[in-house]
Amino acid sequence: MRKFFKKKAVWLTAAAILVIGCVSVGPAMAYFTTYTSAAGSQVISLGAQTKIEEPKVENWTKHIDIKNTGTNDCYVRVKAFCGDQFTIDYTDESGNWETRNNDGYWYYKPVVAPNGTTSELLAKINVPENLKSSFNVVVVQECTGVLYDTNGQPYADWTQVIDTTTGISEGGSGN
Amino acid sequence: MILVIAAVALLAFSALQSTRAALTYVSQDYTASLAVSEIGVTLQENGNDISSRNYSNNDWHETTGTLLTNMIAPGDKFLPGKAYDEKISVLNSGKIDEYVRVTITKSWTRDGEKVTTLSPDYIELGMAGNGWLLDQKASTNERLVYYYPSVLAAGAATGDLTKDITINNAIASKYTETTTSDGTYTTITTTYQYDGVQFNVDAEVDAVQTHNAQEAIKSAWGVDVNVDSNGTISLQ
Repeated sequence: MRKFFKKKAVWLTAAAILVIGCVSVGPAMAYFTTYTSAAGSQVISLGAQTKIEEPKVENWTKHIDIKNTGTNDCYVRVKAFCGDQFTIDYTDESGNWETRNNDGYWYYKPVVAPNGTTSELLAKINVPENLKSSFNVVVVQECTGVLYDTNGQPYADWTQVIDTTTGISEGGSGN
Repeated sequence: MILVIAAVALLAFSALQSTRAALTYVSQDYTASLAVSEIGVTLQENGNDISSRNYSNNDWHETTGTLLTNMIAPGDKFLPGKAYDEKISVLNSGKIDEYVRVTITKSWTRDGEKVTTLSPDYIELGMAGNGWLLDQKASTNERLVYYYPSVLAAGAATGDLTKDITINNAIASKYTETTTSDGTYTTITTTYQYDGVQFNVDAEVDAVQTHNAQEAIKSAWGVDVNVDSNGTISLQ
């Protein structure tokens, strides 16, 4: 019996039968699947830039117009600074300027579109009689980009703190 | 001598018998046609078919589309903070029932390159509910995987997966300042760091047959699910 198993022919035959047996296994079957995909994108445009149009000074009154020189809508506000001996009277004929919270700023109520200009704000400097020499009045104008709420209504956030750091912030929610 | 003759006679008779023809019977030709299961799926956005891939007439038919088109009027800008309608859903455009899942990927790019300092969390997709199951284990803040738990019958569409998309306003709070002076005026320019970035949303739909659901889903998607008697799947 042992001699039988030692014969090469026996093993070759057994191997042949095994191989033939494997070949007769049925073809592989796959489950039915399909897939599809699509992608989309949009570009975000931010930024606001404004410039004071050549302010005219006549009769101690500075005419302040602010032009939006950027590419996006923005809100503007203005404040004039001068020495302590002087006071400033603001006049607004259009009704578009207003003060808020007594912080000294005059806010332009409507949104200023790119290349648009605000209506004029007049700042009259009251100088005491005995001091009609030269002096400086500094007009500071600020602008902020328009932010939108979920309904698409615009608002201004003047408290936006300048954040010069870069980095991944864990703000917002996914779901 | 007689034996020989008898043998010859017997042999002759047996030969005669063998010339009888065999009875043959041929049946009619039968044609059996087997319809291979025609599976198909379509990705929809705001009720419109965007992309699809269907098997019919022994071949695959594909269409491809783009998301986030027609969101804003020409000339208008995309406004951060505003919620825009974005309803993604899936339609079974094949002839057999199927289970579907959607994978949504969000990213920021600038000039074709990924912006890694900006979190995809700022791309906020409002979810509509409608029973879609989120696979927490497979999802990250860049990639969300949702499974539709019920069988999607041929011709039927799922409920909306998402309802709107909003870019968080916080993207406008990162800026750098430069100061220039031209003698009369000093200008402080604030540059928004993320002006001009582009946000991308990618949605991929997978569909699989409903027969042998548990094995089919494991084989096609590599996910373990439980299937109850109504055919509703739940993630393990």
